[in-house]
Amino acid sequence: MTKSSSKNNSNVILELKNITKTYATGTNCFTALDNVSLKIHQGEFVSITGPSGSGKSTLMHIVGLLDNPTSGEVLLNGKNISRLKEHQLAQIRNVTLGFVFQQFNLLAKTSSLENVLLPLLYSDVPKNVRHQMGIEMLIKVGLENKASNTPAQLSGGQQQRVAIARALINNPQIILADEPTGNLDSKSGAEVMKFFHQLNEKEGRTIIFVTHDMDLAKQANRTIIIKDGKILEEK
Amino acid sequence: MLKPSFSDLLRSSFRSILKNKSRTILTSLGIIIGVTSVILLTSIGNGLKNYVTQQFDALGANSIFISPGKIFNDNGGFSQSSMTTAMTTSFTQKDFNLLNRKLKNTIIMPVNAAYADIKSSYAIKKTTEIDGSTEEYGKSNNVVPSDGNGHWFTNEENDKKTPVVVLGYKIAQTLFPKSTAIGKKVIIKGKTLKVIGVVDQKGASMGGPSVDDAVYAPFSVVSDLAGNDNINTFVVKAPNKDLIASTKKEITKVMLEKYDSDAFSVFDSSQLLSSINSIISVLTIALTGIAAISLVVGGVGIMNIMLVSVTERTREIGLRKAIGAYPRAILIQFLIEAVILSCFGGLVGVILGSLGTVAINSFFPAKITISSILLAFGVSSAVGIIFGVAPARKASKLSPIEALRYE
Repeated sequence: MTKSSSKNNSNVILELKNITKTYATGTNCFTALDNVSLKIHQGEFVSITGPSGSGKSTLMHIVGLLDNPTSGEVLLNGKNISRLKEHQLAQIRNVTLGFVFQQFNLLAKTSSLENVLLPLLYSDVPKNVRHQMGIEMLIKVGLENKASNTPAQLSGGQQQRVAIARALINNPQIILADEPTGNLDSKSGAEVMKFFHQLNEKEGRTIIFVTHDMDLAKQANRTIIIKDGKILEEK
Repeated sequence: MLKPSFSDLLRSSFRSILKNKSRTILTSLGIIIGVTSVILLTSIGNGLKNYVTQQFDALGANSIFISPGKIFNDNGGFSQSSMTTAMTTSFTQKDFNLLNRKLKNTIIMPVNAAYADIKSSYAIKKTTEIDGSTEEYGKSNNVVPSDGNGHWFTNEENDKKTPVVVLGYKIAQTLFPKSTAIGKKVIIKGKTLKVIGVVDQKGASMGGPSVDDAVYAPFSVVSDLAGNDNINTFVVKAPNKDLIASTKKEITKVMLEKYDSDAFSVFDSSQLLSSINSIISVLTIALTGIAAISLVVGGVGIMNIMLVSVTERTREIGLRKAIGAYPRAILIQFLIEAVILSCFGGLVGVILGSLGTVAINSFFPAKITISSILLAFGVSSAVGIIFGVAPARKASKLSPIEALRYE
């Protein structure tokens, strides 16, 4: 993969312009992100890392349209989405973004297949093709024989693969992962990272993941180190 | 277009509810109790109305009653002072003659009563009301024995004071358990009377006087038994239904010649029926209203559990929002869950209420109606919507970030 600096602006899928996020905690004001600007290009594999409280999660939430910046603009495919209404943001999250969480966030007592199909509930995908799409996603993550198992019947690594299948079902442009290996043993964690690499290299998917683990962060093609709400350096 | 589709939302809500079966049943219990009581009470009210209507139908159409005392107040309800007046005064033979003279094309039947023990060779029936009247009374009140069960007394028997009685079905069974009563003798106040007929069985009563327990004798015979020839009531048969109103006016005019307007009442069965029915309606509405309070309590129970559910499922709500659920989709989902809980309660309540009505009907008049079912079910669904809104709104307004972070 080529580095971001070599890409031209036409490939920019996501751009943050002068993003500041402050939280009011009582009488104090805490700045989580301080005038951050960032461009993510189509097909990049980006890690965001930094110490605890550095603002990496806040950055991830703003990129994932789960949180609004206090000031600044977020451009997705060149379109400013900072001022969109909640239901419009929900639609973008549904179609354009795929989330993978540290805690997996699968619905308990619900089969793997139904967990994978969950985003389709909120999409325009016709009902008659949903089941087949879910099965194909489970095949992709190697869990086709676990379609009817509930999360409690799966290992941590398997649960995270179900979560990845769920993130992929709507064929999103960007996969966002927040500490995706944080709750996994090293072997399962490595498998998940390998899977992300495959998605990036074979399918050209844009992947952004947050980790506090520097070694893991280095596996990405581009690493953004953040500290005290500012981008310290990019590698 | 609604996303998710209504069927998807319904399925998803059902699944969430079925994950906690015992909680679902306990949550719905308030609604179940409320709907069951509402249905049972309205059924009893309807049953009573039906029963009263049937009883009045049995009194015969076109009948007008003249009673001592003011029975109705100006609003169509019963007058408070009526009962004492009605029980202490009565009409006389002169009134009968006056009415007979003045009213044309009507049949006037005087009714009196005596209270005494009735003895047969087998049994004794303590303090029984013996109603006295004329030949026409039997037909007018639909109490003429059918073929094979003897006959009703004639005016000739009345004129001659022939000591005869007609017994109700049940009292005949009591006095003559082993054989037919017809032709047998009964002794009332030391006088021997011959049973000339037994009225056909009329069915269960609610504890009031029933035709099955009645004893009838010619007016003159009852006068002798009572020791006076007072007349308790006149039953006047109007020529046809359309003439009831004008006949009543005529009677009132005649009676006012002799009595104050407060001293007597002229009414027909429909008037009495509507008064009784209005009392039953008020009672039914009042009792149903009390029962409906439990529906509100049930609604609060549902709201409580839905709020607990929203808290328990905060992370799920956060996840759904992260993967594309817009606030209204979350709101509708939780609202549907609340409505399913209350409708489930409503449905079980309707079933229990219906079964209860059938059970009650075996010993007390009760009749279920579609309108009471629809009302109870509709109110329970409305309770679900009303009490489901607050938790559903809370869920829909959760911030996805905070919801995902919730432990």
